[in-house]
Amino acid sequence: MSAYLISVLTEGAIFGIMALGLNVIWGWSGDFDLAYYGYIAVGAYMTLVLTIGPAQAPAEYILGQQLPYPVAVVIAVVTTMAVGLVVGLIALRHLRGIYFSIVTLGAVYVMYVIAGQFVPLFDGYNGLSGLFDPMGDVFGLDYQSYQYFFLGLSLVMFVIVYAFMARVSSSRFGMALRTLREDERAAAAFGRDIYRLKLKGYVLGAALGGFAGALFAAYLTAFNPSAWSPVEVIVLYSAVLVGGRGNIRGVVLGVLIMGVLVQESTRFLPDLPGLGQLNTDHPQVLLAMRGAIIGLVLVLFLRFRPRGLLPERRFVDRQPAIDVAPRSA
Amino acid sequence: MSEALLTLGFGIITASILALSAVAFTLEYGVTNVANVSHGEILTIGAYAAYLVHQRTGSAIAAAIAAALAGGLAAVAMYWSLIGPFIRFGASPTVIFIATLGMSFVIQNTLVIFFGAANVAYTIDPGAPRYVGPFLVTALDEQIVASAIAITVVLFFIISRTKFGKALRAVSQNRELARVTGINATRVAAATYFLAGLIAGYAGFVLAESVGSFNPYFGFMFFLITLTAAVAGGLGKAVGTMVGAVIVGIILEALPALPVPFVGGYISASYNLAVAFAILAVVILVRPRGLFTNARRTVFE
Amino acid sequence: MSAPAAAPALEVRGLTKHFGGVVAVDACSFEAPLGQVTGLIGPNGAGKSTAIDLISGFKLPDSGTVLFKGRPLEGLAPHVIARLGLIRTFQSPREWPGLTVLENVVMARWDAGRESFFGGLLGLRGEQRARAASELSKAREILGEFGLANLRNELAGNLSGGQKRLVEFARIRMAQPELVILDEPMGGVNPVLGERMALAIEAFIASGTSVIVVEHNLPFIERVTQHVIVMAQGSVIAEGPFETLRSNQDVVDAYLGEQVRQ
Repeated sequence: MSAYLISVLTEGAIFGIMALGLNVIWGWSGDFDLAYYGYIAVGAYMTLVLTIGPAQAPAEYILGQQLPYPVAVVIAVVTTMAVGLVVGLIALRHLRGIYFSIVTLGAVYVMYVIAGQFVPLFDGYNGLSGLFDPMGDVFGLDYQSYQYFFLGLSLVMFVIVYAFMARVSSSRFGMALRTLREDERAAAAFGRDIYRLKLKGYVLGAALGGFAGALFAAYLTAFNPSAWSPVEVIVLYSAVLVGGRGNIRGVVLGVLIMGVLVQESTRFLPDLPGLGQLNTDHPQVLLAMRGAIIGLVLVLFLRFRPRGLLPERRFVDRQPAIDVAPRSA
Repeated sequence: MSEALLTLGFGIITASILALSAVAFTLEYGVTNVANVSHGEILTIGAYAAYLVHQRTGSAIAAAIAAALAGGLAAVAMYWSLIGPFIRFGASPTVIFIATLGMSFVIQNTLVIFFGAANVAYTIDPGAPRYVGPFLVTALDEQIVASAIAITVVLFFIISRTKFGKALRAVSQNRELARVTGINATRVAAATYFLAGLIAGYAGFVLAESVGSFNPYFGFMFFLITLTAAVAGGLGKAVGTMVGAVIVGIILEALPALPVPFVGGYISASYNLAVAFAILAVVILVRPRGLFTNARRTVFE
Repeated sequence: MSAPAAAPALEVRGLTKHFGGVVAVDACSFEAPLGQVTGLIGPNGAGKSTAIDLISGFKLPDSGTVLFKGRPLEGLAPHVIARLGLIRTFQSPREWPGLTVLENVVMARWDAGRESFFGGLLGLRGEQRARAASELSKAREILGEFGLANLRNELAGNLSGGQKRLVEFARIRMAQPELVILDEPMGGVNPVLGERMALAIEAFIASGTSVIVVEHNLPFIERVTQHVIVMAQGSVIAEGPFETLRSNQDVVDAYLGEQVRQ
């Protein structure tokens, strides 16, 4: 397997986890959350400060522990859930629709700015680096084999998260979330505590984002403000929308199409006259093309196929049921 | 005391630009009930247009006109290609919000493809500073504030005195009702977008001038602050928006006085943005319909 | 029909609500007898729907009290009131359109255990599975009674207005509240379904649910209610069995003599 393929698949698995988490908040609860990439970032940053050891001057950052990777991941996820809880407590109380989206956009930009400007936290614009081959030394792997190991790890994690989401989807909790999306008033009239239920869904989504971020940090070996941007959340939304909002199989399909196909197809675009070799001379232009295509696909699907490619799964009752004549007075 | 006046002075300049951008956004929102997330891109397009024309002609006035026209055309294009169709399709405001976010992404990236992502320096000699009352201003500053005031006055004249203004107000208040009385809501909306785009495009030119450089993302960044002013003033209320812009502008300029590390001047992802959003969050949570209305808003009421 | 018991199903005392300068509900007071169908009628703008919103927790009253099973309801959130056993419908059918008819009915019952996060996940315990299964068969049975069995796998959003109302009724049957408040159930519904709805309401009573019906369709009110309350301009102007109201001058005045004259 070429190194290129390995990295594509690994990234795909990580994006898959991100998209599944976003699906909880948007696909099931129905809230257009723009803070999501912030949770990925918190997960990544926290994992790094807990594994790369104490800061060497002039770098500055908090914690600076050298814990085993799995332990760091768990702490990172818990931290992310706490951040998600704070944002959710504020944003979900009274706000819906665009007001909710705007407040979450604000929240993520606050996170982004603090991460970049407040140096003592995560070393500002320099960011953190140095997470090499976590758990690699435990198994005594060399560089080459480690790539396979991490790919396997990412895929396994993705499968676990997928199975978990499948369980949640068909569970009563998942269905309750969807009643909130469909009609909140009716849900309240039938006894659902909207605020609490949405909060639980939101924190769950954030947790998955943080988990994906932890994996992402190991994949990139580093993380800094130029590695993420709040607007990148659009790529995730495209994946969820195109595949089929609310349907976890659809989400996977969406990640395959948007995350992998679109990403890779732009590599093979013909060179534009006067721009030279796109891949090497103008990597930014390449990224921009990918971005423009993704944005365009998002808008087209919103207009012509808002349910996505795969419609939401519903419970189909196969047991026979018959109509009974209504009792007369 | 002069410290406070200085801050007030800078605040007024920032507020002027912010007010222009915010009032244009409010026009768009008022006439279509859509929060146009691509609004920032109108400013960016204006800045690029101004720069290109200025390079060719050397005239700041030509640049300003080019910026306004480019902005107007861009806004109409947004309405015609995306916002209008989505409204006719019956999409909910949230869906259109998402669509305009997608459009913003597309425009930013398209600009990067054609112009690259790097900062473009755009400097105009600001002129020697002199005292106007207690404030120390340059000729450039005077132009900015003066043009902002002039544009506002003309805009309010248009809205309150002309036939078009009446139609605009009718469509903003009740689209269906306006249709019934024979107003072509679509045409009014398109014309309003053009008007808003003229103002926003010009604001982009002025902003680029005053900051000294710009890039494909700078409109979006400024939009985030614009949103704060617009929401604080009450989405759809022009007067409230202006006041909101002034308040936000002054607060932002007051930041350097705070003992907080701060990247001065450049509208990038600096603390300005974080503070603006903190203000926004507080306003939305306390008074979601804006600072100037009385509506309390819960999920059900 | 059962004789009225001593304690009413619902007691409303002095309920008041202002919107800006307008008084929507003005010192409204009435009682809904237990085990009966109580009608709530009045001209448009009388404040009936607002009163329902106030009773069910969707709006906060300025003053007054609502007693349900002896418990004051003002200030409680809608879902808390629902869990206490008071369910209401809305003026337009509020089914969950993206869920199937069967899912709509199954989800009518709030299940604390299985809807908590961990309960939902680890609902592999036998007791919860058994509960889920019995719930499912109960839902099927109810749908059968309402003639919706062959639509059970259809998305609720695809149904006609009348069918959606029936789904709402099925949900109420499933939830078995002690009191249900129906907000204009005949609104936008083919009058042909009126009898079916009347039978459904009688079935509610038979299963122990008291009913309050807000309606403009007066023949329907006459058909199903034992006791009627008339509201106008925010307060109660008359109450009693439907026949007595026909000749009540205040009621006639309120309606401008149009609909009450049969």
